[in-house]
Amino acid sequence: MMSGKALRAFPEKPLHTFRHHALTSSWKAERTCHAAPRRDIPDVNHPSPVFMLKNALLTLIALAIAIGGGGASVWYTLRAQDGVGAIRIGQWTAFPDIGTPAADPYSKARVAREGVLALGRAEGLSFVAERDSSGDTLKRECAYRIEGGLPTARFWTLYAADESLGVIDTGKQRPAALQSYEVMRQPDNSVAITVSGHPAPGNWLLSTGAGTMYLVLTFYDTPIASSTGLSDIEMPRIQKAGCDA
Amino acid sequence: MRRLLHVVLLGLLGAGIVHIVVLMLVPEFSERDAWSRLAMASDLYKMTRLDAEAGGAPVVKSVDPLFYAAACRFDLTDGLVRIKAAGRVPFWSVSVYDRNGHNIYSFNDRNANSGTLDAVVLTPAQMIEVRKDLPEDLQGAIFVEAPIDEGIFVIRAFVPDESWKPIVSRFLSQSSCELPDY
Repeated sequence: MMSGKALRAFPEKPLHTFRHHALTSSWKAERTCHAAPRRDIPDVNHPSPVFMLKNALLTLIALAIAIGGGGASVWYTLRAQDGVGAIRIGQWTAFPDIGTPAADPYSKARVAREGVLALGRAEGLSFVAERDSSGDTLKRECAYRIEGGLPTARFWTLYAADESLGVIDTGKQRPAALQSYEVMRQPDNSVAITVSGHPAPGNWLLSTGAGTMYLVLTFYDTPIASSTGLSDIEMPRIQKAGCDA
Repeated sequence: MRRLLHVVLLGLLGAGIVHIVVLMLVPEFSERDAWSRLAMASDLYKMTRLDAEAGGAPVVKSVDPLFYAAACRFDLTDGLVRIKAAGRVPFWSVSVYDRNGHNIYSFNDRNANSGTLDAVVLTPAQMIEVRKDLPEDLQGAIFVEAPIDEGIFVIRAFVPDESWKPIVSRFLSQSSCELPDY
C-alpha cells in the first residue's frame, strides 16, 4: 500500500529537488525519496547508526557475560577445596577418584592445572581438613586437639599444610609432620594429638606462623582406598584448644 | 528492558557453554601438568627426584613430607621400559600414570617378589611378544600392561625419621629406568 502511494507521489515531486540530491550523492537521494513515506518500517539495508550501536552493545554484553562468566566459573570451581567427587567424613575430605581415568571433568582439570600426581589405589588415600568441629577454619596460630579412632591402614602420616597443601616450613629441626609408628596410643588404640606452636605433652604436631592451615591425613596401603571401604569409617575429631592472642 | 533481559539470559546460556568448553580444554592445553613440569626438569628415561630434598623447589607438588619420590618419563613406542631399585626401605609404592597424569596402575612392596622393586611397563602388543620367549632375567619382574604410549613412572618411599633419610635417598638414586633391548 505504502510503496504504491510512494510511486504515485514520486512524479508529483519537483524535478529540480530530485536532481539536486542525485548530484550530491546517490545514497542521500534514495533516502530522501523513500524515507518520508516509509518512516515506520525499519530499513534493513540501511539501519540508523543509533540502532546499530545499540545492537552492537547488546551483543557485546551477551558475549562479555558468556566469556567472562564461563571462564570465571571454571576458575572458581577449580579453586574450591571441596568440589565434585569429594567424600566427607566429619571434618575430613577425600577425593578417592582424583587422578584416575574414571574421575569427573572437574577433577581432571584440577589434575592438569596443578600438575598433581595423585596416589594410586594400592598406595593410599589422602584426607584434608580445613575446619575444626565447630566449623571455623583452621589457623596456624591456634592450638587444636585431634582425637579419635582411625581406619585400618599399614601406617598413616599427618602434616600441617599451607594454602597450596605443601607442608608448613617450621624453620626448625622438627618438621610439621607425624607418622603412626611414632605416636603414642590410648588404651583403646585411638590417638590424641596436639597441634600447636608450643611444646605439648603426648603426641605433638608442631605448627608455626599465622594464617590459614590445612591438616592432611594420609593412609598408606589401606583397604579404604578402594571405594567399598569408605562407607563406614571413623575419622578423628578436630577440636580447638585455644589461640595465641 | 525486555531486550536487556533477553541479552542477559543469552549471555548466561553462553556462559554455560563456555564453562563446559573451557573445562574440557584445560587438560588438553595445560602447560603446568605433571608431564610438562617433568619435561622441563629432565629428559626421558631419567629418574628425577620429585621432593624438595634434592635441592630447589619440588618438581611436582603436594608430596607427603615424610616421603621421598622419584619419577621417570617413558615412551612405549620406543619399546618396553624396565624400572629397578635395589635396597630395602620401610615402604615403597609405585604408580604408572598416562600422559595426562591419570593413575592407571599402582602397587606397593607387598606385591613384589622378595620386596625388591623390579617392574616392566609395556603395551599389550609388546606383552604378546615378550610372552613368546620370556628372557631369563625378567622372570621375577612385575609386568604392568598399559594401553598407552607416553607415561610417567613414580616411585614413592617412606622416610619414617631422620635416620632413614640417607638410606631412602640411596634407594631412589640407585633406581634405574631404562629401555632394555630384547
